Amino acid sequence: MATTLDLPAVVMGRRPVHRSARKLADQASRAAIENAGLQGDDIDLLLNVGIYHERNMGEPAMAALIQEDVGINPEDPHVGGHGSFSFDIANGGCGVLTALQVADGFLQSGAIGHALIVASDAHPGHGAAPGFPFSPSGAAVVCSWEDGPIGLAGFRWESAPEDGYPFRSRIGFEHRRNVLRIEKDADFETRAAPWAAKTASSLLADHDMRPADVDLVVASPLTVAFLEGLSAHVGIGMERFLVVEGAEHVHTAALLVALAAATEQGRLHDARRVLLVSAGAGMVVGAGVLIRG
Amino acid sequence: MPRSWLMMEQSPNPGKAPYVARFESIGRRLPTTRLATEELMATTRHRTRVDLERLTGIHEHRVAAEDEDSLSLAAGAAADCLRRSRHSAGDLQMLVSCSITKYRGGLDTWLEPPMSLAVAQQIGATKAMTFDISNACAGMLTGVFVVANHIRRGEIDCGMVVSGEYISQLGRNAAKHVRNIMSSELASLTLGDAGAAAIVERAPEGVTGISVAGFTTVSEHSRLCLAYPARHDPGARMFTKSRAIQRVAIADTPILMQEALDAAGLSITDIDWVIPHQTSARAIRKGMKDICEALGGEPRNEAVVTVDHYGNTASTSHCVALVEELEAGRVKAGDRVALLALASGLEIGIILFTVDDELVSRYGNDA
Repeated sequence: MATTLDLPAVVMGRRPVHRSARKLADQASRAAIENAGLQGDDIDLLLNVGIYHERNMGEPAMAALIQEDVGINPEDPHVGGHGSFSFDIANGGCGVLTALQVADGFLQSGAIGHALIVASDAHPGHGAAPGFPFSPSGAAVVCSWEDGPIGLAGFRWESAPEDGYPFRSRIGFEHRRNVLRIEKDADFETRAAPWAAKTASSLLADHDMRPADVDLVVASPLTVAFLEGLSAHVGIGMERFLVVEGAEHVHTAALLVALAAATEQGRLHDARRVLLVSAGAGMVVGAGVLIRG
Repeated sequence: MPRSWLMMEQSPNPGKAPYVARFESIGRRLPTTRLATEELMATTRHRTRVDLERLTGIHEHRVAAEDEDSLSLAAGAAADCLRRSRHSAGDLQMLVSCSITKYRGGLDTWLEPPMSLAVAQQIGATKAMTFDISNACAGMLTGVFVVANHIRRGEIDCGMVVSGEYISQLGRNAAKHVRNIMSSELASLTLGDAGAAAIVERAPEGVTGISVAGFTTVSEHSRLCLAYPARHDPGARMFTKSRAIQRVAIADTPILMQEALDAAGLSITDIDWVIPHQTSARAIRKGMKDICEALGGEPRNEAVVTVDHYGNTASTSHCVALVEELEAGRVKAGDRVALLALASGLEIGIILFTVDDELVSRYGNDA
């Protein structure tokens, strides 16, 4: 038994047209639940890891709104039913991987049977984010505890020492209004790649694996600079990396976008050992491994 | 899988989650500046005719000084927690920041990198996996739920849950807009600033620790309290339907509390202390009276109230109150405590734990 992932659902909005991050999340969530052959009420835990949404809302958790929209046990507690729990996790570009670890924990302990992880980002609207750099995008995946073909086997995390933060996102008061500014140094990906490779190598060592044992690498961000840097530093050829054309500006949903592409291309089906790697602001880097039982 | 309404974990759970988690240390950071409710209400732009002190039982709030923010309050609480603990920052394998507010350097909200990383860097928790949880005022208890899960499975031995809430500025913004008792921003005037941190660790054998933790989101009420950055003012604004939240909380909490108590094999009369989310003294007393009536019994002591002198410190409120009771020596070893989260979402969560003598001794008190 292990935590298995169903086919992720991906919903892309059109740039630069503003689309509601919540609606992207809603659509992706419904599609992911359908992909898993489940009903909304089957979901026990909903984790939202998207960061940029309508009006930069700070409360409640966006996950609660998604839960209500999708109709996942939204009603008051009553006899004969069961509830669901929703909250947000924020860990930049590492959100999906973080949520996978959290969901895996509750699946392992038997607290839940199914978790839904959803990521979406879009311009927060009202002119509050000039130069917003990310593609409007949403993705979701259902995780279950079962005898599946390929399951999560472990995670590793590292954070780089404070180095001036090459990726910064903040809302500040400018010219009598609150404005979201997202700044990324040009060398963010090339600085993140060696840290991500170090973390991935530690994870492989945990599982007595060598780089040559990895059949497929699914990594985010989906920029060429990061993927090529990671490939070089971890010692796994680019032919074993998942590259998704046109997805380099997808933010928190990137790992799920890549996983969906891997599934659709049949590459996940053929893989015995899949390395998941993410790098986010901070820098925080994480790695996970899927192993076929 | 047992089907409770709460998503619930209970100890012991042999096989799947064989270890027990416990609170090892809890710390807090309270700003020294006090703001009387009367002073705050004197700043309202409109003549509101609202006697907020009588309405809520809140006499004063703690408010951050100019050089304080969400990060400094969180880091200060983390340092206080470590000062009481036998752990050093280097022992922490996970650090989760759970605040609603993420202000650094004044009223700049940092979305990335996460607050957790900044706290870890400030206290030297170099080995900790870091991430933020956002779950309104249920944030810290959600963080405890997640960290405890990792401990119970043996994934980690020790983690910290931390939050810094520089949230009184919502009151400053609300003071410009509140016109009368029906204002949806009235609840913003109850807020106070604080930081809190808790170290959760694997309990030694024989220690009861956290016996049950259960949470649910009654999301058909998800839009009863919403907060956003203000359009034309620094900081944020919050819009709350307080009466509707109170009504739902009173209706829904008994069935959920009963589930948690049943899982622990306890009744409400076995609980020594209930520490609810600190919204208003009047709401807590009225709510607990109704909940106890529905449960057919009362805890051994009156519900803990600290909101009267700190204000509603959002996600930190349970830990701020728990430290207060531990420092005062009122909570003793062997006491059973129910932490009751109630938050925008609508989030309802319950953590039942037994205080042990080590925790009591960290506050200069004997078991």
